[in-house]
Amino acid sequence: MSAMAHVSAPGTQWTVPDLRELALSIRLRAVRMVAPQGFGYLGQALSSAEQVAAVFAAARPGVDRLVCSPGHYVIGPFAAAAELGLLSDEAVAGYGQNGSPVEAIGTERSPVFDYTCGSLGQGLSAALGFALSDRLRGSGARIFTMVSDGELEEGQVWEAALFAAHHRLGRLVVLLDANNSQVDGPVDSITTLEPIAAKWSAFGWHVQDLDGHDPGALSTALAAAVQEDRPSVLVCRTSTVHGLDCLPIDADGHFIKLPPELAAAAERELTGKLEALRA
Amino acid sequence: MREPPYPTEVKPYGRALVDLARRRDEVLCLSGDLTRQCEVDLFAGELPDRFIHAGMAEANMMSMAGALARCGHIPFVHTFGAFATRRPFDQIANAIAYPALPVRIIGFMPGVSTPGGPSHQAIDDVALMRTLPNMTVVDVADAVEVRQVAAAVVDVPGPVYVRLKRGETPVIFGEDHVLRLGQAEVLTPGGDVALFASGMMLAAALAAARALGEHGVHVCVINVPTIKPLDAATVLAAAADARIVVTAENHTIIGGLGSAVAETIAEAGLGRPLRRVGLRDTFAEGSLTAPYLFTKYGLSTQALIETIWSALSRPGPVPDAPATPAESGEYSPV
Repeated sequence: MSAMAHVSAPGTQWTVPDLRELALSIRLRAVRMVAPQGFGYLGQALSSAEQVAAVFAAARPGVDRLVCSPGHYVIGPFAAAAELGLLSDEAVAGYGQNGSPVEAIGTERSPVFDYTCGSLGQGLSAALGFALSDRLRGSGARIFTMVSDGELEEGQVWEAALFAAHHRLGRLVVLLDANNSQVDGPVDSITTLEPIAAKWSAFGWHVQDLDGHDPGALSTALAAAVQEDRPSVLVCRTSTVHGLDCLPIDADGHFIKLPPELAAAAERELTGKLEALRA
Repeated sequence: MREPPYPTEVKPYGRALVDLARRRDEVLCLSGDLTRQCEVDLFAGELPDRFIHAGMAEANMMSMAGALARCGHIPFVHTFGAFATRRPFDQIANAIAYPALPVRIIGFMPGVSTPGGPSHQAIDDVALMRTLPNMTVVDVADAVEVRQVAAAVVDVPGPVYVRLKRGETPVIFGEDHVLRLGQAEVLTPGGDVALFASGMMLAAALAAARALGEHGVHVCVINVPTIKPLDAATVLAAAADARIVVTAENHTIIGGLGSAVAETIAEAGLGRPLRRVGLRDTFAEGSLTAPYLFTKYGLSTQALIETIWSALSRPGPVPDAPATPAESGEYSPV
């Protein structure tokens, strides 16, 4: 995908000493990535920070694959990769800038993950392709796949869900970010997706429904998921403003505005929390 | 080349794909629930481990094919051309064409070769695939070419769209004919008309050229199996040697072979009257038989003759298309 490191490339190494700290660092890094533009996909990083941290902790470096289905979510993996030394500060500084391969909506030039697409609802199908290839070649790699709840409005996700269960693609683990946010507003004001867990269960998946901001719950759920011989989904209940108290109550979670004063406040808040955690 | 009525072959593609896959481990076969219709029941039977049934879910199938190609496989993806190109266009664009992955999309039943109506008639597949960067577009004419097409496209670096006639496929060329990807081939000497034909329209183009030749109109027929990238040198040379240029495609006249030829000769500054024979910006319809549609929508030998006769302002009655009745198991163009 790119000359820069991506997680499944042989020889790639990293360790995650502390999930809580990595999630906080992802939030702080994401604030710094969005601040120069004054707006961006910060809400995606805020809702998925613990999921991203947990995946980097669970994935075997240089073996397992990471699919970030919604291209708008790449800020989270970028931030994590920067914190873990997989992506240079210089590369991260180019996030969303003219001429930079670290584009704000993920593309073929994006580093870090094995697949993303800005046209939503397609990443799970790509994960199936990886899983089929791994099965054909006898590889035991796992495919961790980030999917957003808004993507469940796309029919292709359900085509993929049917296929994965029918073929018992047990190496597949989906982290579904149920943040109830899409461009036009709360997902549940536009389409009733619930009962989300029951839908996946009815499709033949192993399902766990949990607090997506609870690192312990995520770790436990991922450990259970990788033991399954069916495909697994973690329905992660989250919020696009979680962990950043200074955001206005009516912040648009899909595309958060971050003017300089608010960016400075966010920097102070998250730096303080990190210092407190490390103390 | 043979003369009509042509003998026909059944499943020339399906057999050739199995032969190729036995030589090339990277080749995988994906099917979208039209396995026998796309001739890959042979593959499913002989190489079941490399056969992936994607079900009736074209979007998922194309995205999976892209990821498989990313892993080093060469997926050949099969369904009818209408379903291969319209519904999963976004997936082909994002998961296959943009990353320039070696997925081979095989769309059966081109244009009005099916009486199944507008939902099943791929009248815009060439146009759709031609607009995508990195995509190669192929429309082969007969069984001799069909037998060679899988091997001809297997090593193209990026994606390829191939449209193939379903069912009995005419044998037009001699057994020594070689399909050369990326090349247009001049088949008959001309002088008055450069007639570019692709796919199923080649037989009609040859028949029209023969009939017109008997009336003093010299038609150079050029077979254009690769519509993108177009063999601009051959197209320009043939067009320069003719008074008028005519294209013949089993497809809408917008965006396919006719457009490609028009763009090429216009950009070269070559001024020639141009007539595009194909579906005239219309959907077709369901029917009992395909020949009815070829006649009704102006894709017949007679339509080609009339178009050329009129474009050259020839006096006198328009010559009749030759009658070459086909027995069962034979093929003659409409």
